[in-house]
Amino acid sequence: MKRNLDPRAKLYMLFVVSIIVMLSATTPLLWCIRTMITMIPIMLLIKEKRYAWALRFFVLYALAMILTFFVLGSGSTGMWKAFLTGYCGIILQFSPAFITAWYVIRTMKVDEFMSAMQKMHVPDSITISLAVVMRFFPTIKEEYGCIRAAMKMRGSSLAGGNVWKMMEYRLIPLLFSCVSIGDELSAAAITRGLGGKVKRTSVVVLEMKSIDYLLMLFLTGAAAVFVFVKYWV
Amino acid sequence: MKKNIISMEHVSFCYKGAKKGLLSDVSLQVKEGEVLLLCGSSGSGKTTLIRMMNGLIPHYYPGEMTGEVRVKDYDIRTTPLYELAGVVGTVFQNPRSQFFAVDTDEEIVFGPENIGLDPEEIKRRERDVTEEFHLQKLLGRSLFALSGGEKQKIACAGVSALLPDIILLDEPSSNLDLRSIQKLRCVIEKWKRQGKTIVICEHRLWYLKGLLDRVIYMEKGKMTKQWKGDVFYTLSGEKIRDLMLRPLELNPEWMDPKGENVQGAFGKEKREGGKYIHFKNYFFTYKRHPYLFWKKRPGGMEGKSLQLNIPDLSIPVGSVVGVVGPNGTGKSTFLRCVCGLERDCRGEIEAYGNTYRGRRRMGLSYLVMQDVNHQLFTDSVASEVMLSMKEKDEGCCEHILSNLGLLEYKKKHPMALSGGQKQRVAIASALAAKAKLLLFDEPTSGLDFAHMVKVGNLLEKIAKEGRTVLVSTHDPELIAMCCDYVLSIENGQVSSLKKVENKLQWKQ
Repeated sequence: MKRNLDPRAKLYMLFVVSIIVMLSATTPLLWCIRTMITMIPIMLLIKEKRYAWALRFFVLYALAMILTFFVLGSGSTGMWKAFLTGYCGIILQFSPAFITAWYVIRTMKVDEFMSAMQKMHVPDSITISLAVVMRFFPTIKEEYGCIRAAMKMRGSSLAGGNVWKMMEYRLIPLLFSCVSIGDELSAAAITRGLGGKVKRTSVVVLEMKSIDYLLMLFLTGAAAVFVFVKYWV
Repeated sequence: MKKNIISMEHVSFCYKGAKKGLLSDVSLQVKEGEVLLLCGSSGSGKTTLIRMMNGLIPHYYPGEMTGEVRVKDYDIRTTPLYELAGVVGTVFQNPRSQFFAVDTDEEIVFGPENIGLDPEEIKRRERDVTEEFHLQKLLGRSLFALSGGEKQKIACAGVSALLPDIILLDEPSSNLDLRSIQKLRCVIEKWKRQGKTIVICEHRLWYLKGLLDRVIYMEKGKMTKQWKGDVFYTLSGEKIRDLMLRPLELNPEWMDPKGENVQGAFGKEKREGGKYIHFKNYFFTYKRHPYLFWKKRPGGMEGKSLQLNIPDLSIPVGSVVGVVGPNGTGKSTFLRCVCGLERDCRGEIEAYGNTYRGRRRMGLSYLVMQDVNHQLFTDSVASEVMLSMKEKDEGCCEHILSNLGLLEYKKKHPMALSGGQKQRVAIASALAAKAKLLLFDEPTSGLDFAHMVKVGNLLEKIAKEGRTVLVSTHDPELIAMCCDYVLSIENGQVSSLKKVENKLQWKQ
């Protein structure tokens, strides 16, 4: 079986990128590090043959960057420019973490995740809850799709444009169906032995390869430089 | 003499919060290697019995339990659930909510991994199960992309990989088409040959013929009747109907009536007059052409690659049309396209002298989904119906509700109703929206006979009032009961539209 990055390296990447996202870049060097960090998941997406998404993310990020630095100056005024500045700011600030999370969730199997967590000696209760959350994303998407279809059939004037009502109409059926699916799901899972006292085994063989260490080293270095330059230089 | 593998002694159970007990004083012995069917209407306690055998009661669903349940020398009350995992395996009704993993291979090994088997042993079992169930094609795929039948097959494989002695099936065929049901039968046959003890709880009875050793009929939480398997299948049709069970045998003519193919016959007649509804240019594909920022809409040119390819179809107004065909041939897709839910489908509806395109199709038609929970938004039945009305008219709302027998539940929360009542609330809101074309996506999957007859009568009633009904279904009984025409769809194309000559009369 073809294995790409080790899930532990992926989780570490998510962790480091999230830290960097929380700190704002101010100097060209910091921007450079941020951009580099954004390019890593995009390159990884290309490696996974998800070209369309890689290109979409790249264009989004590049566009926001060009707009911020070359079109909108710091002295830009007016409604539209204010809006654009805001949007671009949000994209530049958070898209690195978003792209990384997208990559990690799309490429990590639940099984891989569980054995990685076990190897890191994370307690089972935490691992299982997180695994259920991961398992639930596609379910929520499916359910939400159905509810939106049902809403469409009732006409767009539903709730008369009242935002609160519209939220309520969407969330309540979603919650109901997620709760009932979750209930059935956990019943099915425990009849198959989840949560027992025996130590769970796994057919997945996890092995940190040089590429994983290299990536982690690079990320650590980038984060260290980022923090150092930002606070001590 | 084989020994008892499951034994229940004077068991009673009452779910927490329920007023009445669901099971009262049930005693049951199941022998090793026996294949047992539990039948009876919904709410008769079949599922509860199954849940006691796999330990979900009392460990997962709390309630008051008396009596003793022993499964292969384990006392269910004192044995934790995970110890039962290798002893009792359960296949559940709903394929979409019994998967823990996201991929098929992960799902098969999920159970063995949980009980801590050696990875080499797990791999060996995975290989065995794959071969046994012919899963080679399904390995390594996302579970979310599989059809209902394929999902259920993986669920059976996942249970099988734990090598349990006892296998419980809780309405396993509910979401399957005829072909997948045949495959499910093969799986059960295989388990029987391996000498496993099998307990099945099911409404569909025809596919189990020849497999069962014993049949138990349940009524209001009690086991009231028992037959030997082969004796059960000699019972007369009237007897089965008196017991409110679904028929023991299917007549192939129900799905494929003898009459001539009338597809195209209606198109030649005059299009005005409001006697027919015409569907034109229904093309659709799920296969995504790779695109970057905008997508191309499917047209009629691509031919065979389309999931839906219906250039022209006419059906008479005021009729009930059953839409049949195996899973994944485009029945549901057709319904979704008809009412305009798939935006990429540019089909048109010509009816009542008008042409409906795009979003306007939603004004004419209304889809009652398979899972009606998705369609109920508000906090009372009355406001649910009012929500669909352009001009709020309380009198009209009450009229619709009383017609559907829902008036007494007017103030209730829709989520507190039973499944059948919820379905009727969804129908009520369709009627309130003045929909002329009602679409039903498998309204009877998982229903018992009595409820199926109710749905059938309701569909007929709706059509008699001048509306047109399209209903996709895998239940031949439903078609025989209420449909005027049968539209069969194969590979996205209409293969025939036939008139049903004489409907069955199964009134309650």
